Order: sequence, then C-alpha cells, then structure tokens
Amino acid sequence: MKNLSRIYISIIAALICSVSMSAQDERPKGIEKSILLGLEYEVNAGLNIGGASPLPLPAEIRKINGYSPRLNLQLGGKVTKWLDLEKKWGVAVGIRFETKGMETKATVKNYGMEIYQDGKKLSGKWTGRVKTTYHTQQLAIPILATYRFNDRWRVNFGPYLAYAFSNDFDGYVYSGYLREGDPTGNKVSFEGDSRATYDFGDDLRKFQWGFQGGMSWQAFRRLCVNANLTWGCNDIFNKSFKTVSFNMYPIYLNVGFGYVF
Amino acid sequence: MMKICCRLLYVMLVAIVAVSCIRKEPLNAECDITAVAIEGDILNRAPIIENNKVILIVKNNVNVSRLAPEFELTPGASIEPASGTMRDFSTPQTYMTSSEDGKWHKVYTVEVRRNNSGSSNLDFNFENVRRVSALMGACSYDVFYEVGANGAETMAWASGNPGFALTLQGTTPSTFPTFQSDEGWTGKCVEMVTRATGSFGEGVKKPLAAGNLFIGKFDMNNAVNKPLESTQFGTPFTNIPLTLSGYYKYTPGAEYCQMNSSTGKLEPVAGKVDECNIYSVFFEVTDDMEWLDGTNVMADDNPNIVAIARLSPDQRKATNDWAQFTLPFVYREGKTVDPQKLQEGKYSITVVFSSSLDGDYFSGAIGSTLMVDEVFITCQNQ
Repeated sequence: MKNLSRIYISIIAALICSVSMSAQDERPKGIEKSILLGLEYEVNAGLNIGGASPLPLPAEIRKINGYSPRLNLQLGGKVTKWLDLEKKWGVAVGIRFETKGMETKATVKNYGMEIYQDGKKLSGKWTGRVKTTYHTQQLAIPILATYRFNDRWRVNFGPYLAYAFSNDFDGYVYSGYLREGDPTGNKVSFEGDSRATYDFGDDLRKFQWGFQGGMSWQAFRRLCVNANLTWGCNDIFNKSFKTVSFNMYPIYLNVGFGYVF
Repeated sequence: MMKICCRLLYVMLVAIVAVSCIRKEPLNAECDITAVAIEGDILNRAPIIENNKVILIVKNNVNVSRLAPEFELTPGASIEPASGTMRDFSTPQTYMTSSEDGKWHKVYTVEVRRNNSGSSNLDFNFENVRRVSALMGACSYDVFYEVGANGAETMAWASGNPGFALTLQGTTPSTFPTFQSDEGWTGKCVEMVTRATGSFGEGVKKPLAAGNLFIGKFDMNNAVNKPLESTQFGTPFTNIPLTLSGYYKYTPGAEYCQMNSSTGKLEPVAGKVDECNIYSVFFEVTDDMEWLDGTNVMADDNPNIVAIARLSPDQRKATNDWAQFTLPFVYREGKTVDPQKLQEGKYSITVVFSSSLDGDYFSGAIGSTLMVDEVFITCQNQ
C-alpha cells in the first residue's frame, strides 16, 4: 500500500509540474515539433466505478444485499497520431495505472466455496451470505481508434492489454451453512458471530485484455472531460480455478479529465 | 452530439443491468432426510437423524419385522423405496435419496433398536474402532463402537472428532482429539488429547478442542454455532446404575489457557493446572428433554437428572500411572427410580470422558492427555 501511494504521489507531482509548465503557454520545443508530426499528448486522471461481475448473474446468486464501488483511481497518459490533416481520424496508444475494486454482499445458494486456514483448504457448498472484496492494481495499455467530430467532441474505441501486479479477492461467509465437500456432505451452520474467511487472491489472472470505448469533451482549450467503459474479456480467475463455478468479468466506467498539450 | 453520447451510455448501462438480473432459483441440490414418522405410538425416543444414518428407538413390544417409516425430505427430493413402504427392520435397511435437481444422491442406513439393545453391554473396553474419512478423504478419525454377544454392533460412541475435522488440523486418527491407543490398561484404550484448532478455530471462537468421548450424538450442524448443544448426551437404559468404574491415566498439558472472548485467541492463566473429567449421568426422559446437552448435563436445577457419578476434584488431577476409579451414582434428593418407567425405557444414561474439565468453554491446556480403559457400570440386580 505504501508503494502504491508513492506511485500516486509521484504521478500527481509530475502532472502538476507539466501542467504548470504548460500553463505559461510556451510549449517545450519537443512538443511543438511533435504537433507538426501530427502527434498529440494527453495526461489524464480519473475514477473507476464498476465491478467484476458474472454475466449474466449465475443462478447461485439469489440476492445482492450490498455493493460499494470503493475509491479506484486511474492515472495515465496517451499519444494520439492524427492520420489526416483535418485531424478526423487518429490512432492513440496509452498507458494507465489504475486500481479496480468493489465490495459486495450477496445471498447465495449452493455456492462453491473454499475456506482457507493455515495453508489448507476446506471446500464445500455454501448457502447463506457472502461478503466479497475485490481489489486489483493494474498497468494497462489501450490501443484506440479515435474519431473527432469537431473541436469539442471525439470518440474512441479499441482493445487494451493489462497486467495486474497486485490482486486481492477475499471475504468471508456468515449466516448460513456449509455442506462439506458437496451437497450431500455434513451440514455445518454458521450463525451470529461465526464466520469463516476465504481468499482467492492467488487464483486471479495476471494478464487480462478487453475492449474499451468512450468519448471525450474538450471543455477548455487544454482540458478535456473523458468517459470510457472498459470491458474485460477474460474471466478474472485463472482457468485452473474451479471453485467459483462461473466466469466474472471486470466492467468499469472510468470518468475523469485530461490535460492536452 | 452530447445527446447521442448520453443515449449511448444509457443503452450500455441498461444492457448491463438487464443481463445482471437475478435468475430463477435453481432446483435444490440437497437430499436430506429431515424428519421421520411412524404410524402408531411405537417410538420411545425422537428419531436420531444423522447425515447418512437414521436410528429409530422403539418400545419393547414392537414387531420390528413390519414397519413402514415415512420420511420428510429436503423440498423436491425423492426417496427409494418410497416413503411409507413396509419393510423388515430386523436388520438395518438402506434407502437412497435423490435431490430435486437429480444430480445428487445419498444412501441412508435406517436402523431400528429396542430400548435396551444399546446399553445391554455394560462394560466398555475400547477395543473396537472404525476409521471414518472426512473432507473428501483429506483426513480420517476413529469412531469407537461396542459389540454385543453375537458380534453385532450395539452402540457407537460419539466424540467431537467430526467437528475437529473442519479445522483442518487433523490428518491421521492420532492427530485428532480422540483416538485409539495401543497402550491400554489391557489391550487397547481410548486416548483423548486437548488440541489447538488453528486459525479456523480462532475465527469461530473455538480455539481448542478437548478430547472427549461420550454416549450420545454429536450434532455437526451445531458444532460451530452452539457447541454446547452439539453434544447430545444419553441412550435408553433399563437398569438402575450403582457405580461407574474403570482405569484412567491423566497428564495435564504444560500451560493452562483460557479464551479471550473478543479475539478468540488463547491466553495463559498463571498458576492454573488442567484437570480431566469422567462422569456418568442417569436421567429421566420427558417430552421436553429427550437428551441432555452441554448446557444442562450437570445442572443443579435440571429436574430430569436422577443420579450422577463423577470423579472427585482430587481424582481429576495428574496420575503417576494408570489409576483405578470406582464412582458411586449419587442419587439426587427426592429422586427415586420408577420401575414401570424403567421397564418402558423412560430413563437414559450417558458416560462422558474429557481431557479438559472446562473444554466445553474452550479453556484448558493444549496437550492434556487422558487415557481411559475397562469401564464398567455396575447395576442393581433386578
């Protein structure tokens, strides 16, 4: 976590520096040269709101009792190469550092569960309540086709690749019962304070890919407002992981602003 | 333009919500027998229903060769042979249940016992165990049982072993709290060791498990929630008990601990030494109290208790070697045994051994070891 805040602080510092530098409206020579080549630079920051969700919701999930998106920051930058003189069509490559997360409370029926204790696991089928916390830190590289309608509006769409360098998926089960092994196993109730924790963090994928699309509105000469939907195409879990019997896909809406040089 | 984009976003959100709807509830995957009924007033105790076994204790005059038990199952589940089928229960019968979704099946053994068959054998030498595997074969533990003159099993002892299995601290039988040892007073014996229950135990605020063995049933469903109620004591008894005798050997563990009720962890208590417990309770069975449990087995205000035999405080301490005990059943003031009720099987008895006196409240010393052998209940001649 310490490392994470350090990364944030340095990126924010770099952002502020570059913004204040450009605020003097004297572009550094390099950028001026880039513009002549049809290149455009943007640094951006935003918030991710969404979750890792099975699509459609599996029948095992009977009720969602609570959901919190948590605070997920995103910082990044991108370079757009305009392909024509009117700057209608372009290709953009970006890099972004982001966190994605969620906290959910659900009521489930006959839900695959592995309760980890001291390096061993107790597996079975859970009926009752489950609390889940998902949190991942990723570095993503989007490659986007960009189309500019006018000075104010542009849209973009394309695939992205992401690498997760930190993954957490854990929680606990409570107010329900476990069937040891399978639905015919011993039945053990957990009521009141009794809860058992689980942690599937090690079973999350490191590499993910997906598509993203969105739009950008040039609010001021240098400042734009961005909204992008990122839709993961991989199950967030490794293929070998069978306990959660359905696939979950990360779907996040990113809303933020960018500074265009 | 703004409008188009908003509309696009709206369509996307609607699409996400639409596919994320809660779906129709899946059919039940469980196939439990949840209740058993038999026509007529022939049962002497409520049916004992376990995960793969049902025991019906019937009155003395019942003809067990023609019984038609009716089963209540998990909603939607089915049973073969059908509920209400007439069968001969001179020997245990098997039934197969199937879940509503058709994917799961369970085989139940249904056994009919008369009042006294479980306790006709009054000496217990702990020579017979069967190894039961748990958690899909990840571990196994010993279950002690008694055999009658004809070699058939008459009673299985209960212990907290199935609950301990959940903690994943056990692998082979001798790593469980209760197991068979070769070093008995004669032949084999039961050995009980107080064990730590690991992170799972701390999480559910049960940081230790005393080794125990008792006559009755261990109710798995309550093992985590209401552990005191998971030990259901007693089996029908048609004799008047006088003494409980046998041999034991006790070594308290190094450090007595009690649970910190907020963290669930064990904390040492200076100067205190663990004690063992051996006792037997003879009690009357009423409709509102068919068995005793950890909350009332020794309670002074329990009106059903007739007599108790127990180790004295001095006897609960460490022994140098095997020691003999003979414990008289002390009848409670004003309590007598009604011969009519005795004949009808309206009394029960339990015998309990524990390696930590306060183990039911999760206090004791890890490693406390109690060995018990050649236990005998002397009864009044009738």
